[in-house]
Amino acid sequence: MRQLANTMDLGAAFDASPNAYVLLNTDLVIAGANTAYLELVNAKREQIIGRPMFEAFDSGPSDEAPENVRQVRDSILHAIKTGQRDHLAIVRFSIPFEDPTGAVIYEDRFWSATHTPIRDETGKVALVLQHTTDITEIESLRHQVGAVTGETSTALDAALGGGVLARAQQVQQSNRKLEIERRKLNDLFMQAPGFVAVLGGPDHVFELANSAYGQLIGHREVLGKSVREAMPEVVDQGFIDLLDHVYTTGETYEGRESLLQLQRRRGGDLEDVYLNFIYQPILGEEGRIVGVFVQGHEVTETVKADQRQRLMIDELNHRVKNTLATVQSIAMQTARTHEDPASFAETFQSRLMALSHTHNLLTRSHWEGADLRDVLQHETLAHGAHRVILNGPSVALPPAMAVSLGMIFHELATNAAKYGALSTGDGRVFVDWSVQDLTNRKLVIFWREQGGPSVTEPSRRGFGSRLIERNVRHDLAGEAKLVYASDGFNAEISLPLDRGDGHE
Amino acid sequence: MRKYPFRWIEAMGMSNALTGRKVLVVEDESLVAMLLETILEDMGCIPVGPVSTVDEGVQKAENEPDLDLALLDVNVAGRQVFPVAEALARRGIPMVFSTGYGEAGLPPEWRGVPAIQKPFSEAAVRDAMLGALNVARA
Repeated sequence: MRQLANTMDLGAAFDASPNAYVLLNTDLVIAGANTAYLELVNAKREQIIGRPMFEAFDSGPSDEAPENVRQVRDSILHAIKTGQRDHLAIVRFSIPFEDPTGAVIYEDRFWSATHTPIRDETGKVALVLQHTTDITEIESLRHQVGAVTGETSTALDAALGGGVLARAQQVQQSNRKLEIERRKLNDLFMQAPGFVAVLGGPDHVFELANSAYGQLIGHREVLGKSVREAMPEVVDQGFIDLLDHVYTTGETYEGRESLLQLQRRRGGDLEDVYLNFIYQPILGEEGRIVGVFVQGHEVTETVKADQRQRLMIDELNHRVKNTLATVQSIAMQTARTHEDPASFAETFQSRLMALSHTHNLLTRSHWEGADLRDVLQHETLAHGAHRVILNGPSVALPPAMAVSLGMIFHELATNAAKYGALSTGDGRVFVDWSVQDLTNRKLVIFWREQGGPSVTEPSRRGFGSRLIERNVRHDLAGEAKLVYASDGFNAEISLPLDRGDGHE
Repeated sequence: MRKYPFRWIEAMGMSNALTGRKVLVVEDESLVAMLLETILEDMGCIPVGPVSTVDEGVQKAENEPDLDLALLDVNVAGRQVFPVAEALARRGIPMVFSTGYGEAGLPPEWRGVPAIQKPFSEAAVRDAMLGALNVARA
């Protein structure tokens, strides 16, 4: 071509061609037109060069004009965008003429046009060459024949190539429809709330990935890359094997609540993501598998909520069963020392109430803990605030410790009311506590009874004192000293406040 | 030895199979531990412990002489009791799990070990213990 260009004046050849040509730049401004074109459209070169195509030619004032302009513009833009020649088999477009009086009238014409992209040295489309043919006469002949015979397809029609034109027109229309459908479908995919990707070939190369897919995998560009390249962290998670399987066997794969570890932020840690998804084979010509269609949605929140719920139900079950076993134990131990049903019922009930009171306290703090003074007050208030004198700092107790101490204070108070300082009119109980050794905190509680009847050590240890000793030692890892001094019972309880071995 | 249904054992005068048995109790709730102790004493057993942590449990399981059996709470102060179970298994000492969930709550490797569900009746404790001893001997 270059040789040819050197020996010939291409411009002259272009101008001398009997075919009508007009050259547009990518802004659709007319860059050149040959004489045949100027004659065809009844325009002078200087009137149209440098003007936007659809300003120079607007198809006139008719209602159909905007649609006609749109069809031609779409075809030109398509050629620019794709770099491929685009054919417009038939299009209506009106051209202005001056009538003998000098008034402008528009003449309805039919055209057939080809738009050919022309690239610059860098390969970019720089110009579009429109080759246009006026087919008005063929069209009107076709219509005239159709009007006479009442048919749209006749032998003459066929002879004139009208059938071909009509078919071309149909193809063009259906192409346009297909293009619109394709764009709609594409929009649908791109905007779908679920993630969608199209993987092509045996290496699963991303041909399409919608915005939900982009959000799922985060931060990276995947189009044109294989899954292996685009998402290296999934290679060892079995998903490529699944894709291979779908690609080779054509069997659809459905994943339910599948765990996938994804690096969603550049340089970030792998995150657990749960997905419901489907891998479907894409069949090409002759039923061959050409790719895999991926679609699904993320269910991480649902899966995690289920897991949390299961954990909570398990924990609830554990606590309820343990509490029932505790109540069972209280009932059995109480029954051993109370043969009379009425006295059994009373003692059993008061122990249950003690347990329940501490639970109430804990519920108020959402089971985060309770203050020692509150626990003491709950168990002793019934005996009168002036008779049980509480003295000590505020100490936050974790839930299990609060429950234990609640039971212990209940037993101490009950014992005092039955046999000790609270059994007579003027006895008193002093409860003093302090926290010692601040690095390894130890709570020390003194329970001193004064002014009650003289005390003798019981011959048989009751459930109350056993419970106190056992509870402190067993549940609280502490020590309890119960002293039956003749001038009043007293107890010293010491226990560690910070045990790091899973005891709450 | 053949396995007999428990009622047969009782009918054959073997209900005393538990008398004098040394039974380790691992249970973090003192009230539940006291209940188990009472039940064990009523059956003529000698309770060992009760201990309230896995570490103490392992220590007893490894070193307590003449242990015949163990009652293990599965969830001990937020930890699972299985290290104790492993120590016992190494010595061939039979065990019974106690749990809020029953046998279904056990991990697969410990299924088949008798389990009692809290709260438990004396009969359930006795049957499970006899079952454990029986399985161990069979």
